[in-house]
Amino acid sequence: MRDEDTYADLTVLFAAEDREHEAKPFVDRVMGRIRAQARMRKLLLVAAGLGGAIVAASQLPKLLADSVGLDASLTTSIIQAQEGVSALASANPLWLGIGAVVVLSLMAVAAMERA
Amino acid sequence: MRTDPDLAADAARGNDSAFAELVRRHQARVRGMARRLTDSSGDADDIAQATFLTAWQKIGTYAGGTFAAWICTICYREFLQVRRRQRPEIEFDETAEIIPFDRTLADTGDKMDLSRALAKLPEAQRICVTLCVAASLSHREAAEATGWPLGTIKSHVTRGVAALRKHLAATEVA
Repeated sequence: MRDEDTYADLTVLFAAEDREHEAKPFVDRVMGRIRAQARMRKLLLVAAGLGGAIVAASQLPKLLADSVGLDASLTTSIIQAQEGVSALASANPLWLGIGAVVVLSLMAVAAMERA
Repeated sequence: MRTDPDLAADAARGNDSAFAELVRRHQARVRGMARRLTDSSGDADDIAQATFLTAWQKIGTYAGGTFAAWICTICYREFLQVRRRQRPEIEFDETAEIIPFDRTLADTGDKMDLSRALAKLPEAQRICVTLCVAASLSHREAAEATGWPLGTIKSHVTRGVAALRKHLAATEVA
C-alpha cells in the first residue's frame, strides 16, 4: 500500500474544503494584475521606441544630405524646423515640465507594478 | 480537455488565456494551501496571488512534471518570504516539534473542524500534512519543495496524520 493511500480520506475532506473557497473574482484579480503588467510593459516599450525613433529622425536630414546628396534647401529647412521646435520648447519650460512629469509617472507606475 | 503542461507551454508563449485556465484549475489548491500555512485568510490570498504572479513570470522554467507540485513549491516559497518579513527574529527550524502558531479566538470554541485541527499541529507537521495530504503532493515532491530530507517528510506526515485523526475523533466524541 502506498503512503498516500493511508490518508486518502483526509485528502478528500481537504479537497472538499478547498472547493468551497473557489472563487471567480480571485482568477479575475490575478489575471487583471497580469494584464496590467503586460499593458505597462507595452506602454514603456512604445514610449522607448518612440523616443528612439524621434532621435533617429532628427539625425536623418543631415545623414541624407551627407550620404545621398539630398537637396540642401530641403535639409536646411528641416534642420531649421527642428531648431525652431527646440527653441520653442526652451522658451516655454512648461513643455519640458510636462514631459518630465510624464516620464516620472511612467517610471513610478512601472516601479509600483514590479513591487 | 487540455493538460496542464500544454496550457503551461501556451502560457510560456505569452498566451494569458491559457494561464487563466491554469489559475482557475489550481486556485482552490493554492489558496487552501496558503490558508493552512498561514492560518489567516488575508495573508493567504496575498500569498496565493503572489504565487500566481511569480508563476506567470517563471512559467518558462516549468519543465514538465506535475504542475500542482510546481505551483505548490512556489506557494511554499512565497509563504516563507512572508513569514520572514513578519517574524524576522525567529529562525525557522524544521526539526522543532512545537512552535506555537498564532491562534484566533475561534480556536477556543468547542467545535473543531479540519482546519482548526490542522492548526493545532506542530508547525513542521502542519507544513508536511498541508503539502502531502491537503495539496496531494507526493512525499518526494514535498521534500523537493521544502528542501527537507525525504525521511523527515514521511515521519512528519505520519505523525501529523495520526494527530489530526486524534483531534478529529475527539471532536466527533465531544
